[in-house]
Amino acid sequence: MAVGNAWIGTVLRVDLTTGTWGTEPLRMKDANDFVGARGLGTKYFCDECDPNVEPLSVENKLIYMTGPLTGTAATSAGRFEVVAKAPLTGTIGAANSGGHFGPELKFAGYDGIIFEGGADHPVYLYINDDRIELRDATHLWGKDVHKTTDMLIEECGNVRVSCIGPTGERGCLFSAIMNEKNRAAGRGGLGAVMGVKNLKAVVVRGTGPVKVARPEGFLRELTKARAIIQAHPVTGTGMAAYGTQILMNILNEVGALPLCNGRGGSIFDHADEISGEKLSETYLVKNQGCFGCSIACGRVTRIPDDSPYAGFGEGPEYEAGWSFGADCQVDDLAAVCKANFICNEYGMDPITLGATIACAMELSEMGAIPESDIGFPLRFGDSDAVVRLTKMCAEGEGFGKLLELGSYRMAEHYGHAELSMSVKKQEMPAYDARAIQGIALEYATSNRGGCHVRGYMIAPEVLGLPIKTDPLVTEGKGSLLKTFQDLTALCDSVGICLFTTFGMGLPEIAGQYREAVGSDESDEDILLKGERIWNLEKRFNMAAGVEKDTLPPRLLREALPSGPAKGKVAELQTMLADYYEVRGWTSEGEPTDEKLEQLSLG
Amino acid sequence: MKVKFFATYRQIANCKDFEIEAPADVLGLLKVLCRRWPEFSNKIVAPDGESLGADAIVLVNGRHIQHLDGVRTSLANGDTVTLLPLVAGG
Ligand code: SF4
Repeated sequence: MAVGNAWIGTVLRVDLTTGTWGTEPLRMKDANDFVGARGLGTKYFCDECDPNVEPLSVENKLIYMTGPLTGTAATSAGRFEVVAKAPLTGTIGAANSGGHFGPELKFAGYDGIIFEGGADHPVYLYINDDRIELRDATHLWGKDVHKTTDMLIEECGNVRVSCIGPTGERGCLFSAIMNEKNRAAGRGGLGAVMGVKNLKAVVVRGTGPVKVARPEGFLRELTKARAIIQAHPVTGTGMAAYGTQILMNILNEVGALPLCNGRGGSIFDHADEISGEKLSETYLVKNQGCFGCSIACGRVTRIPDDSPYAGFGEGPEYEAGWSFGADCQVDDLAAVCKANFICNEYGMDPITLGATIACAMELSEMGAIPESDIGFPLRFGDSDAVVRLTKMCAEGEGFGKLLELGSYRMAEHYGHAELSMSVKKQEMPAYDARAIQGIALEYATSNRGGCHVRGYMIAPEVLGLPIKTDPLVTEGKGSLLKTFQDLTALCDSVGICLFTTFGMGLPEIAGQYREAVGSDESDEDILLKGERIWNLEKRFNMAAGVEKDTLPPRLLREALPSGPAKGKVAELQTMLADYYEVRGWTSEGEPTDEKLEQLSLG
Repeated sequence: MKVKFFATYRQIANCKDFEIEAPADVLGLLKVLCRRWPEFSNKIVAPDGESLGADAIVLVNGRHIQHLDGVRTSLANGDTVTLLPLVAGG
C-alpha cells in the first residue's frame, strides 16, 4: 500500500495553544494495520495520548480521521471518525459521522487532522485546499449549530462545516460534533472536548482528487457491491421509504422496546403513533442521502406552524424516536420530532438525553427528585415536559444543568445510580437487553459503553440479517457478536456506512478495500484488522481504568413482566464467559499476551 | 385472532390490522391473505406455495415463526400474527 492508493498521504496537525500547524506524512504502516478512520484515529490517539488524560482538559487530543474509501466511489463512502477520550465514559471515544464533510477533507488534501492543546479564545479552523488559517470565532461562540453553519457558509463561501453548539462549549457530557447541520459524531460527548479547546468549528473546501490503486478492479468491485445493495429489500428500497424509525413497531411486537427507563412492561400500546409508518404519513418532507449513498435513509421533516412543536429539520432516527417517545411514554410524534430538532440545533446526543429524561421521570415518580429541583411536576407520558427539559438542557438552565451530566451522574446525585440505564456511564439505546440476549452482550462489552452500533446484534436476533438467531437463547452469541464487532470495526475504519452491511458483507467490503489500496490480502486477513482494532480499543480502556463489562442490576435481576420475553433477564454471565473465550481473552475479560502478539499489538 | 400489518404490507392491505377466525396454521393464514389481497401472493408465500416468502417476517404472539414451527405453527383464536417485509434500521 502506498500514498496515492486511496490515501492522500498527509495529516494536518494543529497546535491550538500556539496557534500553529503543519503537515506530516500519514503513517502508512499504521494505515495498513489499522485500516483508517476509527482504527487509525484510535491508533494515533493511543500512541500520542496518556490513557489517564482528563477528558475535559486541553491535554486530551481530538482527531478527525477519514478512511481509505472515504471520498471514493465506493458504496456509501462518506464517513469519517472523530476520536478522543470520551468525557461521558472515560473510554476511548470514537464517533462516526456521514454527510459530506469527510470526503471534502480528503478533496482538500488531508487524510486527517490532529488537534492538540487549546486556544485562549474561540477559534475555527479554515481549510481551503492548501490554504489553512486559524480564525477568530468569538462572534460564533454561543450560537447554535444551524446558525453557526449558516454564518460560516456566508463568511467562507462553499464550505462544509463541522461544529459544536452551545452544549459543547459548556461541557455537556453528551454534546455532539455536528456536520452539515444535522449529521452527528454523536456519542460520548466529543463536542465537549472541542469546547474545552475553544475550537468552535472546522470548515473545509477541497477540490483535489482521491485516487485508487487499481481503478478497473475497484470499478468491478463497487459495481458488484452496488448491485447487491440496490437489489436488497432493505438497502434497495426499505430504508429510503421509512428510514430507521421503521423499527419502532417491530421492536414493540417482539417485546423488546425498553419502556419507562426499563421499569415498565414490554409493550407500548401507542408505539404506532411514533412509528416510521406514522412519520411517513405525517411530517416527512423527503428522504435524503449522504455522500455517494444510494440507500438515502435520512428523513427531512417539518412540523407545521400551527403545532406547539413547529419546526423543520432532520430525523428522528429510531433511537431518538424511542428515547423521547417510548422510553418516556410519549406518543406525540410532533413532540418527539421537536426534541430531536433541538438536539441537532444545540448539538446533543438524543439517545443519552432522552434516556436521562426517562430516568429523571422514574426518580421523580419515586419521589427521589424533589419537584422544586425540576421546577414542575414530572411524570411519564408528559410530552410538554420532554420538550421543556430538552430545551433546559440545551440552554443549561436550572435542572438542565444536571441533565447535561447524563443519567448516571444525575441518578447518582439523587442516590440512585443503579437506576441509570447505562453501561460504563453511557445510556443503552432502544433495545431491551432482557428480550434480546445478543444485544445484552453487546451493551456490556462495547468499547465505548452502552451502544448498539459496535456490534448490531438486532440484525440477526430480530431481523434475520444475515441469518435468524433466537433472541431468547444465549448459545452461540459470543462468537456471533465477535464477528459482528470485528466486521463493524472494519466497516467504520474503511470509511463506509454501517447500514450497507444490511445488504452486503465482508466480501464486498474487503473487495472494494483491496482494489482501492492495492492490497492482495485475503478477506480473512482484512477482517483480522477489525479484530486488531477491537483489541487496541480494549487495551486503551484497560489502561484508562474503565470499569468491567456488566449491565445495570435491573436488567440482570428484574424479569420482564409480560410479552414474548416474559420472565427473561439478561443472562450475561454465561454469554460473557463464552465471549471472552472466543476473543482469546482471560476469564476476566483481558486480552492475553498471546492474543496481543497474534494481532501484532504486543 | 388478530392480524397486524406493518411497513409496505400495511399499504397492500390498506389497513393496520383486522380480526379473522383462526385458520389451522400460519400457512393457512398466508393463503387466506393472498386470496384477499392478491398483491401479497409473490411476497409472503414462496413460489413453491408451501413456505414463507424470502423477504417476509411473520411473528406469532411476538415470536418469529422460525423459532416456532415455521409456517406450520398452529394458530388459535386469541393469537396475534404480525406481518411485515424485511426491514432494518438502527
Ligand atoms: S445509509 Fe443513511 S446514514 Fe448511511 S450513508 Fe446512506 S444516508 Fe447516510
